[in-house]
Amino acid sequence: MTFNKIVWKMAKHHYKKYIFYLVCNSLAVTFFFMFTTVYLNKQLVEMEQSEGIQYVLSIPGVALFTFTIFFMSYAHHIFMKKRRSEFGLFMTLGMTRREISKLIVLENSIIALISLIIGVLIGATLSKFFFWLLLKFVGIQEILFQLHAKMFLYTVIVFLVMFFVAVGQSLYLTFKKNIITNLKNEKITENVSDKHARLGGIGLLIVIGSIIGLYFTYTGHRGGDFLLLWSLATFIGLYIVLYHFTSLLIELIKKNKGYYYRRLLYLTNINYKYKRLTSVMMLVTVMIMVTLLYSTIILFTYITTEREAIEETPFDVAFIQTDSTNNVGIDAVKAIFEQNGNRVQRHVSVPIYSYFQKDYYEVVHAYTFMSLDAFNELTSSQFELKNNEFIYFLNENTETPESIPYDQGLRIPSGSDEIIYDVKEVIAEKRMNTLSNLSEIFVINDTELSRLKRSVDGLAAVVHLINLEDWQNSKTEVKKLKQTFESLHASTPAINVEHIVPEDELFQISSRIEGYEKNKNSNGILFFVTIFLSVLFFIGSFFLLYIQLFSEVDKELERIRKLYRIGITSKEIKRMISQEITTIFMIPTLLGTTLALLYILAMATDIGGVIANPEIILHFLIVGGSYFVLQFAFLFYARKKMYRLLSTKLAHSIDKANI
Amino acid sequence: MTILEANNIFKVYGEFNGERETVALNNINLLINRGDFVAIMGPSGSGKTTLLNILSGIDQPTSGEVTIGGENLNEMKSDALAHFRRKQLGFVFQDFNLLDSLTVKENIMLPMILEKKNLTEMEEKIHELASLFEIKSILNKYPYHISGGQQQRTAVSRALVNEPQIIFADEPTGNLDSKSSTAIMECFERIVDKMSTTVLLVTHDVFAASYCQKVIFIRDGAVHSSISKTTNRNAFLTEIMDNLTLLGGR
Ligand SMILES: Nc1ncnc2c1ncn2[C@@H]1O[C@H](COP(=O)(O)OP(=O)(O)O)[C@@H](O)[C@H]1O
Ligand SMILES: [Mg+2]
Repeated sequence: MTFNKIVWKMAKHHYKKYIFYLVCNSLAVTFFFMFTTVYLNKQLVEMEQSEGIQYVLSIPGVALFTFTIFFMSYAHHIFMKKRRSEFGLFMTLGMTRREISKLIVLENSIIALISLIIGVLIGATLSKFFFWLLLKFVGIQEILFQLHAKMFLYTVIVFLVMFFVAVGQSLYLTFKKNIITNLKNEKITENVSDKHARLGGIGLLIVIGSIIGLYFTYTGHRGGDFLLLWSLATFIGLYIVLYHFTSLLIELIKKNKGYYYRRLLYLTNINYKYKRLTSVMMLVTVMIMVTLLYSTIILFTYITTEREAIEETPFDVAFIQTDSTNNVGIDAVKAIFEQNGNRVQRHVSVPIYSYFQKDYYEVVHAYTFMSLDAFNELTSSQFELKNNEFIYFLNENTETPESIPYDQGLRIPSGSDEIIYDVKEVIAEKRMNTLSNLSEIFVINDTELSRLKRSVDGLAAVVHLINLEDWQNSKTEVKKLKQTFESLHASTPAINVEHIVPEDELFQISSRIEGYEKNKNSNGILFFVTIFLSVLFFIGSFFLLYIQLFSEVDKELERIRKLYRIGITSKEIKRMISQEITTIFMIPTLLGTTLALLYILAMATDIGGVIANPEIILHFLIVGGSYFVLQFAFLFYARKKMYRLLSTKLAHSIDKANI
Repeated sequence: MTILEANNIFKVYGEFNGERETVALNNINLLINRGDFVAIMGPSGSGKTTLLNILSGIDQPTSGEVTIGGENLNEMKSDALAHFRRKQLGFVFQDFNLLDSLTVKENIMLPMILEKKNLTEMEEKIHELASLFEIKSILNKYPYHISGGQQQRTAVSRALVNEPQIIFADEPTGNLDSKSSTAIMECFERIVDKMSTTVLLVTHDVFAASYCQKVIFIRDGAVHSSISKTTNRNAFLTEIMDNLTLLGGR
């Protein structure tokens, strides 16, 4: 029998190992590829959103990227650990290092290639399915599944880089390091020491510091810029904490000897395993945190779409009417809505007068004026203005600006003269829908408005603001109104305002229903993308924990056999397994949940704090609760499986009298 | 006074699996008295380990009965048996059977912890055993950092910690050099002398067996003969060797 035949025979015998490795690699490729299909989808990238999808996905992206890399190297590590003992055998049989290196590279390459193909195929299929769901359930037509070269390229590059690093490391480990010393190192438990405990404390401080930092910087327009930085700090701190966590805890617990001894097996075993588990725990914690954080935020935006629409469009329908545009009698407008029973509850008409001025560079500036009476009606207030005063009315929901460009007074040239108004009040509040140039308005008293109309050239118009009984059901009526305006426009001559306002703007109708639907659409996409990522993350983190648990099952069995020999009951074994698995599943879940909550609290300052937005906590509870339920389901599954596996293995080994 | 009694023990392997049947134990009868120090010897594959596992309740016989201190092991449910074993029996194994994640002290305490003994009692017991077996200085070390002899003395301490009626040891010197072997056998001697514990060990090491008061020879799963120490250890050693030659095998 030749060497190749022996090697082949052994490979066939241990095919499960290869399958495990293949599955892990394919999974990593699938994840990564699915992510690229979203991240690099052209329509999603160019989505009409203040923040593009790539910005929104930056943290989940980094998390997923790290996860993929870790997952692959982890799978490789487990695979090689099992392989290495066989290589030892081959070497004693006279195989040279060169031949073994060739073997390592060859088998890894084949697996890598197959994984790439399988992963991309599965990834593309699942992703396509996801986009189909998007179309089906959110009704988002404009986002279509697409594949392009970049997605493949990125996946292949990342995968290959990872692959070479992992294989290189394995080659190094196989030859340079003594296998025996590797094995030995695993057995040694590090002693708990003060130093560890103190380092754990430093890690905790970093975590807390980063969250406080986030709290104070996550406001205003540039708040998001620091988010990635703070989260990196949190993750570093978290790693330190996790690494020293059990040492810290056990040192504390040891102070109470009775308590410690009663939980001796459980505590020491967790501590023993834990160091090796740190990276897995870390990654799972981060994934859970990112998942919960993003799901909550996106759920919040999605659910508050309506509130957002109400804030953005104070009136259900609004349009501007001039002599030559939209000049339909208001009764006719009302009739359109009321013919289907949707009563008009309020109608406000606000006369405005726009004056245009070209500056030195031929840029047109518009000054829109509104009468005080109309303003008072609109805002239900009782301002009074002298003839030479104005209210600066910013029709936006922002903070009141500290200074405005008209601190020195508003000067309007009138013939050879100038009309000067002084600012009396600055008010920033969204009171009307956004229409044409209705963002910056000068409120002057009624006599002044009449005077202005006479002395300067401009465009007189009326803003009609309408509230309906049921805006959610006004879609067809709004459409009808639009058609009415358009057909009227087609039969009237062009407006005679010197190319000042783009004429189209004047025909616009701003309706709450349209704003709502537009927001719902883009929030819906984000929501769906987040759910998609959450599912990826959830499955990924579960896989990681699962593999971690079951790859060490032989060690676990060894320990249980030892305990069995000195007389441990099956009930005690069962409890021990249960406690351990629960701990390993629940520590990252609890940590991730806590961190997500803290992040939400810190980030909520941007929208006025949690106290002002109690719903966000509710949404967190919904998302976190569902996550816990799922995690528990998986935990029970893993526990049952582990228990069954160990008891059959134990029974088997007793039967074989190896005890 | 009888402490252990085995009647008509048979053990057949491969009966149900469709493998070829192996009769590992073929009608074994045994009587061990309190305070006995007995070795079971026999060639490799003669059924020593199988016998010890059955006597100590780790394994079940195909037929026959084992009684320890008047309790029939066959009639006990598995958890009751586990409780009985850790309270009444002590075990020493060739591979020491220590948990890597526990210190020497914690390893010794483990059976007491499982029995939920109180703290002072545990500390006292540890103190007593550690001085008896000279392992005080290594109590806080992990098994990996100590020698095989020290590990086995740790294991012997653990076996004794719940003050068992009887100690079972399967090749306790199998992984030790001669110096450590001597130390371990002296430990057993001390246990039998001072605590009047019963010790039953399986070995194919003649030197180890010579410490015992009685040696039972088994061959092909059946008791072949037995001898008792009448004179000194050296004479007994020669006697054991003669018997082994008679027994055949190695
Ligand atoms: N689990 C088992 N299945 C089948 N045969 C076994 C098993 N355990 C032991 N045997 C057989 O029983 C006989 C006695 O084994 P054992 O008690 O281990 O012998 P010893 O300890 O004296 O070397 C041997 O022939 C062995 O092959
Ligand atoms: Mg044996």
